[in-house]
Amino acid sequence: MVIMAADRQAVSLGLGPGMKLADARARVPDLHAFDHQPLADADLLSRLAEACERYTPMVAVEPPHALILDITGAAHLHGNEERLAQDAEDRLDAAGYSACWALAGTADAALALARHGLKEGAEAQLPVAALAMDAKTHQSLERAGLYHIGDLAERPRANLAARFGMELTVRLDRILGLEDRPIDPLRRIGNVVTERRFAEPLTHIDGALTCLSELFAEASERLNERGQGARMIRMMLFRCDGDVARLGLETGAPTRDAALFKRLLRERIEALNDELNPGFGYDLIRLSIVASEALAPQQLRLEGGEDRRGDAVSLVSQLSTRMGRDRVQKFAAADSHIPEQGLLALPALNAPPPVPWQRQSPDNPPMRPLHMFDPPQRVQVIAEVPDGPPYRFTWRRKSHQVMRYEGPERIASEWWQRKDGQQPGKGGLTRDYYRVEDARGRRYWLFRHGLYGEEKANPDWYVHGLFA
Amino acid sequence: MNTIDSDSGQAVEPSPDTPSAVPPASPAKASALRTKLARILAASGVRTSEDKDAPSHFGFGVEAIDSALRGNAKADGLPRAALHELHAESKDDRTSAAAMALLLAQRCRNLDQEARPVLWVSESGEARRQGRLYPPGLAELGIDPDSILHVDAPDSIAALRAAADGVRSPAMAAVIIELAGKKPRGLDLTATRRLSLSAQKSGVLSLMLRSNSDPDNPLPTAAFSRWLVAAAPSLALEANAPGHPAFDIKLLRHRSGLYGLSARLEWNRDDQVFREQHSEQSAPDTGAVPALAAVRTDHQGTRAA
Repeated sequence: MVIMAADRQAVSLGLGPGMKLADARARVPDLHAFDHQPLADADLLSRLAEACERYTPMVAVEPPHALILDITGAAHLHGNEERLAQDAEDRLDAAGYSACWALAGTADAALALARHGLKEGAEAQLPVAALAMDAKTHQSLERAGLYHIGDLAERPRANLAARFGMELTVRLDRILGLEDRPIDPLRRIGNVVTERRFAEPLTHIDGALTCLSELFAEASERLNERGQGARMIRMMLFRCDGDVARLGLETGAPTRDAALFKRLLRERIEALNDELNPGFGYDLIRLSIVASEALAPQQLRLEGGEDRRGDAVSLVSQLSTRMGRDRVQKFAAADSHIPEQGLLALPALNAPPPVPWQRQSPDNPPMRPLHMFDPPQRVQVIAEVPDGPPYRFTWRRKSHQVMRYEGPERIASEWWQRKDGQQPGKGGLTRDYYRVEDARGRRYWLFRHGLYGEEKANPDWYVHGLFA
Repeated sequence: MNTIDSDSGQAVEPSPDTPSAVPPASPAKASALRTKLARILAASGVRTSEDKDAPSHFGFGVEAIDSALRGNAKADGLPRAALHELHAESKDDRTSAAAMALLLAQRCRNLDQEARPVLWVSESGEARRQGRLYPPGLAELGIDPDSILHVDAPDSIAALRAAADGVRSPAMAAVIIELAGKKPRGLDLTATRRLSLSAQKSGVLSLMLRSNSDPDNPLPTAAFSRWLVAAAPSLALEANAPGHPAFDIKLLRHRSGLYGLSARLEWNRDDQVFREQHSEQSAPDTGAVPALAAVRTDHQGTRAA
């Protein structure tokens, strides 16, 4: 077993990562060792990243133990960059973490500086190991007498590339700030971001909700200037002890309506599994509009009256927020002739525009049931001939006498979807559907699964739906 | 027109507590403006687009029944702005009752000028066990599946809440809520009264569909009318094929004290009306109860003591 990480005290005793546990125990017999939990570490790191979103929305996780904050244009909120970094260190300190940080023009430079405990402008003093190439490259660089990044910086790039590969020159340029790489932030930045900071943390939920409504009003003002409305809203409540509560809202149509926002927010809060706990209070509340769509400034109808379409959309938004988007559905036709696969129930929040359903021939009774069982339910059927219509069937322990029937309507399986479906006997079972009516006047949709004698010796019967 | 300009000029004055760019006028002011505007429009002969003429009542489309349902009201049929209850006679009649509710909502929708959706609320567990709505089947009944907004509520309380929200919204043509069982959780006089009052206010037809209930001994509700629906043998088509959807309906309760009304109806998809099924064309060969005389209206207009 090998030591993965050691605390400050262990380091002062000469222990460190990479050392064998047995060797360490030989030096310090009463050391405490715990199993390495990479997942828990990653989890903790991403929670820290979330907490760091208070400084900038561009926070990227750099495993195994670094965070990159792109503070371009965000430092002025704290005075300057140094003060921002100091604030972050103080907060991490208060939460019981020790952190090394560095500021630099590029992400890689900052990472390298922080890892080697140096500050901004000291890139030249970094050891070549900061390039994070493999051990062999580092060794050969040192053999060539190049111990520091500064030694490499003066060399012509072409020679270095010829000797050690392009990779090295790219990394070198990144550390020296000549080239930048994009970072991969945790979250997409919203189109519109509004936030409010509090000198004195908010300890009441109501205050926080009022603040969110105000933030939305601000955001919708900015959306109004662009002729847009919010479709997806993300809210983050930063607690002063580092905990972050996240709320999301989605609307059925672009909106700038503050009343609707308040209603949806209330629904969202009620639907939370674990309710918001302000604890020691929120000191930063941020609202971002993640997705927006064009929305022309609305004009009230001259003669009054409500806009009914808007009402329908806001009802959909409200119900979807409360029960989850999958529970409020619109039907759409799917491209399949298998009865149970011929439909989709899509979330009504972003249902596609309606397509016309198949028209019925006039004066025919309904050929498809109103209620469908998916999967179909087994029935016991007595038929006069094995491949004929049902004569009597038993469903849910009740016997039904067939008084009228129509059929069969033959529906083949989708043999082209199956492997070797074109071969005889491998195309799946054909269904023979019958519309039947029993003595009480109830109408059923029964089918025989498989052609008698050809596909199956003793086909099963199912009830697939009920007619009105 | 001068008066309107000056008034609306005042109305868009920014109020200090709303930071949005165009603060809404206060409701009192807006309604005052609207009444003024209505007066001007009435005087100038311009018709408002509010469909004030949309009928307040709907019926089955069968003359005898609709007029018998008139009661003390001003028009034939049942009032739209009310809660009506439909009970399936037995567990197996659930589909017939659902179809009746959907068809009544459809008839109601047809009265409107602008198309509005129908909100269908059901419990997901019940739909899984007893079958769920099948859109091609809706289309076969003459109902556009796109007009249905389907809510799959996790339990009866959530279903009632969703229905209450739907009834409150004038964007819906009708709200149908399906609750199964003898005593669904959350269904009581208060809940139905809430639905009924919202329906009166918004004018949205609300239908409560009860399956697997106990129609002889129903829960007390604030419904305007209560109906019992059962499947009826259809008139056979050629080659003894099952015919058009047929229903036995029976009025169990009505605000005006009507009762004893029963009929056997058949749905005509092409004309979107019900018609009475005439048993003389072909007697049901089942020995089941023959269709009764369509309507018994001796008690019309009198309150049941």
